[in-house]
Amino acid sequence: MKRRLLVLVLFIAIPVHAEDAAAILARVDAFRNPLQSFAIDVDLTSYTRDGKSESSKFRVYGKGSDRSVVEFVAPAADKGKFLLMMRDAMWIYMPSASRPIRISPLQRLMGQASNGDVARTAFTVDYNATALTEEPLDGKRTWVLDLVAKDPTVAYNRVRLWVDASTSQPLRADFYVVSGKLIKRAYFREFGNMSGRRVITAIEIEDLLRTGNRTVMRYANLTARDNPEKMFTKDSLGKW
Amino acid sequence: MARETIVGLTEISKSYRLGAVRVEALAGVSFDIARGDFVAVAGPSGSGKTTLLNIIGCIDKPDQGRIVIDDVDVTRVPLHRLTAMRRDAIGFIFQTFNLIPVLTAFENVEYPLLLKGLGRREREERVRHWLAQVGLQSQWKQRPDQLSGGQRQRVAIARAMVTEPKLVVADEPTANLDSETGSRILDLLADINANTGCTFVFSTHDASLIARAERVVRIRDGRINAIENPHPALRTTLSHRERAGVRG
Amino acid sequence: MLMKIALRNIFRNRRRSAITLLVIVMGAIGLILFGGYKARTFWGLRESTIRTRLGHLQVYKLGYSNAQSQKPLEYALDNPSEIRREIERDPRVRMTAQQITVMGLVSNGEKSETFMATAVEPEKDRQMGSQRMVAGTDLPNDDPDTIIVGRGLATAMHAKPGDYLTLMTTTASGSLNAADVRVTGIFTIGVKEFDDRAIKMPIRGAQQLLQTNKVEKLLVFLKNTDDTATVHSALQKMFTDRGWKLEMKEWSQLASFYKQVVLLYNGIFGFLGLIVFAIVVFSVANTIIMSIFERTREIGTLMAIGTTRGRIWRMFLIEGFFIGLLGGIFGLGGGAILAWIINHGNVMLPPPPGYTVGYRLEILMQSGTLITAFTISIFTATLSSILPALKASRLKIVDALGHI
Repeated sequence: MKRRLLVLVLFIAIPVHAEDAAAILARVDAFRNPLQSFAIDVDLTSYTRDGKSESSKFRVYGKGSDRSVVEFVAPAADKGKFLLMMRDAMWIYMPSASRPIRISPLQRLMGQASNGDVARTAFTVDYNATALTEEPLDGKRTWVLDLVAKDPTVAYNRVRLWVDASTSQPLRADFYVVSGKLIKRAYFREFGNMSGRRVITAIEIEDLLRTGNRTVMRYANLTARDNPEKMFTKDSLGKW
Repeated sequence: MARETIVGLTEISKSYRLGAVRVEALAGVSFDIARGDFVAVAGPSGSGKTTLLNIIGCIDKPDQGRIVIDDVDVTRVPLHRLTAMRRDAIGFIFQTFNLIPVLTAFENVEYPLLLKGLGRREREERVRHWLAQVGLQSQWKQRPDQLSGGQRQRVAIARAMVTEPKLVVADEPTANLDSETGSRILDLLADINANTGCTFVFSTHDASLIARAERVVRIRDGRINAIENPHPALRTTLSHRERAGVRG
Repeated sequence: MLMKIALRNIFRNRRRSAITLLVIVMGAIGLILFGGYKARTFWGLRESTIRTRLGHLQVYKLGYSNAQSQKPLEYALDNPSEIRREIERDPRVRMTAQQITVMGLVSNGEKSETFMATAVEPEKDRQMGSQRMVAGTDLPNDDPDTIIVGRGLATAMHAKPGDYLTLMTTTASGSLNAADVRVTGIFTIGVKEFDDRAIKMPIRGAQQLLQTNKVEKLLVFLKNTDDTATVHSALQKMFTDRGWKLEMKEWSQLASFYKQVVLLYNGIFGFLGLIVFAIVVFSVANTIIMSIFERTREIGTLMAIGTTRGRIWRMFLIEGFFIGLLGGIFGLGGGAILAWIINHGNVMLPPPPGYTVGYRLEILMQSGTLITAFTISIFTATLSSILPALKASRLKIVDALGHI
């Protein structure tokens, strides 16, 4: 009797409890952003549909969920450049220019910065869960959360997130824009231990507007670091 | 009895440059012309008579000497300041007639009166009068190229007289005319001189014209040779200066 | 009398006077024809710029011009229909058109390019006639999810009429949006750099993409370009009376290409004008000098019989003046006649860059050009005579009389 009840419960869609969804989201975020103030190495490789690939390396300094400074490490041509990524503004600093240049949201759309945004999405901060269902994915039990942006300034209006029910690790996220169109799909491929925490170590992001284009980002060397607030201003960019 | 002097020349000298050579046109010329005189300046070409007449007519300046015209010492006065004198007191008649080709006979004679600023009626009166005097009243509308040489010179005479000048200077007035026409022109000039009392000074190398003059100033190489009074009835005594100026 | 002498002397040597007159006449005709061609070109470019692109006036939200905004439609008109209704009350206004400028990425699924779109009201856009369709049809009146694409961009996107593309941009509030749109046609505006990036879309489509019902600007078209300034102040007053926080720009403040063309043409024709001026000056001066030379004895005579130097100077100056006057009159007549002939003669010029058809040569006759040509003829001729006349007045009487 008990077993049949359990099976029933497991296979029926459970209406969402806000706290449940929020708790899941919090755990998901913990895999991505375990430390308040940190530094991490990012190894980014982008693949185009005709098989070409490009590689870059960065060191990212972050504070909270919405501020980071990205230091270009490789290739050599990009060395010395810095990005300041804030919620609603992005600045690039190049050694050849005397002052940092603001990047418009449209320009942000065009490059790898958009993938950086996707990878950094802070689910708890920016989204409300509106539905929680259970579905199998690749043979695993997963929770599927439908997330809606809390306010109209958030880049992706809706996200559908698949989370491993047993580990709370995020498996996949689909990113939708206001019109309902699916723009990007992120796979959370690998997890590892860094700085005493279990964190995401590899993300693959598919560009659904340019089919065949995908980017893989690998994370390593996560360290806690006390990043002062004033580091995250455009004027500080040049002073590294 | 010495009549009033209208032109007084004392030791007039003038030279000019001809290429690299300096030519002495006049060298110490002195004589007087009395009012009403009909004087011929006679000499061969190159004797300086044209230069002398130019100086008397106030269109050239002497280098040295003194010149008094109508009681005005004009020796040091620059030529462009003597324009009024030339307009009012002096009349010119040229060897080559020198009429304005684009103007009619009437307009040519009228021109000096416009310079004087006379009104239309008075101008018309005077022009018609003088055209009649020179016998060209019916040719008033003709342009110079439609007139004979003699007719042109008559127009020139009318033009010279229309301003009622005190002195008329005529440089070889008949040289471009045949002898008969020239003779008649000279008659005309003599008539006017007798009728108006205007002083006439003309230059010539023509003996027949010289004979018509009351007084003859003979000039050669820039110097006065003789001053003659061929008509004893009108004899005038030579002044001291004139005697001194005569050579030999 | 001086005038009589001057005028008759012009006719004295008819051949020489004719040649000089011809030079002046040609100079005057040149000024009139070139000036008229230039005026017509300016007029054509101006009207075409206004009619197909800028409108006579543009209405924006106050602060729009000085804004350094990263977000689209940060300064936008929130009550465009009301504004339009009031503006169209003025009988001098022909029509108004709403527009939004949208920038973003366009993708065909394989690659993406940046685009610059003008969102328009299709019926109004058709009246403006700013593009030529090279394939497919223009924007339909009632389908917001359609676009027409510039030729270069269509090629880059391998797009033909009927294909679907995705437009991606940021909304007015800053989030991302994307929409699938159907290409109904391909156009060219005549400028390659523009065709490589341009898209036109219905304004409803842009508003959906940007998540707004505001409009970036309102174009106002007048019946007569000369009314621009007066309508501008009338509308400004109307806006102030209603407390609307709006600002306006006139076409002349926005037409930078037109202004550059004006500067360029004025520079070229100014330079040509100087050359013509120099030629006329030399020709007239030469004629006067020769006239003086031939009349040297006459000048001497005039001075001998009492003519002042100033009078001699004036005499020749008047002669130059009359040559200029005659030349000006004939030049005016000749120029007017030639212009009439050209305008009725259907002379075709080759197509300008970017266009495929040529256009008719037309001369615009304006009183300003005619007056200028006439005045310059007189002025130049008189000016040229000044120095020669002065030299004539300084002649030495005796030397002049002795001249052959």
